[in-house]
Amino acid sequence: MPARRHEWPDADAFQEDAHERGWTDGLPVVPATPEKVAAFLATVALPPDEVLGRVPTREVVVTAEDAAVNAVMAGCRPEYFPVVVAAVRAHLDEMGNCHSTTGTLSGAAHAVIVNGPVRREIDVACEAGCLGPGFRANATIGRALRLVIRNVCRAVPGFLDRATYSWPLRYSFCFGENEEASDWTPLHVQRGYAPDDSTVTVHSVMRMVSAWDSTARGPEEVADTLVADTRHHGITGDAFLGDGISIVYVMGREHQRLFLEAGWSKEDLQGHLHARLTAPATGPRDRFVNVGRPENVLVVPAGGAGMAETWILFPHLAWAVTRPVITG
Amino acid sequence: MTVVALDPTGSAAKTAPERRLAVRPASLAGAVLGLVCNGLGRGEVLLDALAERLRESDGLAGVVKVVKSSVSVPPDPDDWSRLTDGVAIAITGFGG
Repeated sequence: MPARRHEWPDADAFQEDAHERGWTDGLPVVPATPEKVAAFLATVALPPDEVLGRVPTREVVVTAEDAAVNAVMAGCRPEYFPVVVAAVRAHLDEMGNCHSTTGTLSGAAHAVIVNGPVRREIDVACEAGCLGPGFRANATIGRALRLVIRNVCRAVPGFLDRATYSWPLRYSFCFGENEEASDWTPLHVQRGYAPDDSTVTVHSVMRMVSAWDSTARGPEEVADTLVADTRHHGITGDAFLGDGISIVYVMGREHQRLFLEAGWSKEDLQGHLHARLTAPATGPRDRFVNVGRPENVLVVPAGGAGMAETWILFPHLAWAVTRPVITG
Repeated sequence: MTVVALDPTGSAAKTAPERRLAVRPASLAGAVLGLVCNGLGRGEVLLDALAERLRESDGLAGVVKVVKSSVSVPPDPDDWSRLTDGVAIAITGFGG
């Protein structure tokens, strides 16, 4: 069954009604005309009723058309849509745990991490400023996922979104790995895809902490800072998630440089961190980090020069799920 | 100029059956109370204490307690059945 059509006398009336109906995150939205939605669907060669995923607890089914309507409204260009589809599929994977991560008091956000050639093809920012505003692909792809979560999955504040504060990352949170910064194995290749494949990894984010260390002069010192700042908070997990929980380190250039100069591979760093993150806790501010395997320590170089900083993306109750970007 | 656009709530509106709130009992006297413990913090202790108070003050006929096997997912199907088949009213909390 196709989405219902509505008609408004002019653009202002549409905009006001979209806000009144609760279809937006509080910012203006683009009218999802049937022509634009068709153009978006053509980029992935999917029928409108193709099911991208479900939220069983909410009796919700998300179709390709639903995703396209919300991607148009978010301000995406058509060529972004294959990335949006991959993000929706990743989020709606059972282990992406939509119900929990979008309903939680903690207000968890969802980081959309883009890998592969599509980053350069559609200008997903991976370098200076990539976590902030100013980049259309980043801003609108992340927003499209959020609008799907709001409009289709019904995570509306005060209804199924029970966040105590929520946070700004819930407007949009999308960036790419700076794969060209080094010869480190990109995230998607570590997860079984070919270098020429493009992927999206969606990681639920319960908190985001800056590990800032400008005095470290060697890789072990930086790693010590990352471990200490992570263990300050710890990660618990539960039976459903098992040993599949991941943590993401968005590693800045100044920190990465120290590892590269010392000849560390990404895998060396993952193993080094994992052993220390999972050591027994010693007190209330030195907690166990429940990441089952070294490959669950996701290291994603991104950002520009200057700040000797790495951002730690602590997970909410979900796995980091990777899905391929498939064009029609 | 007229604007024609598609509804972004599509499948949610199309697929979700209409749900109505259950009729609220006028009294808990003789009723079986359900407890759904989500596994966070000391929630189970709190709900146990609450049930004990209600048992004393309102004359509950019994209590069915469910402790979720994981914080991050709903109760197991068997536990849902125990609740929907056997209790008049249930109390839970949420968090995390």
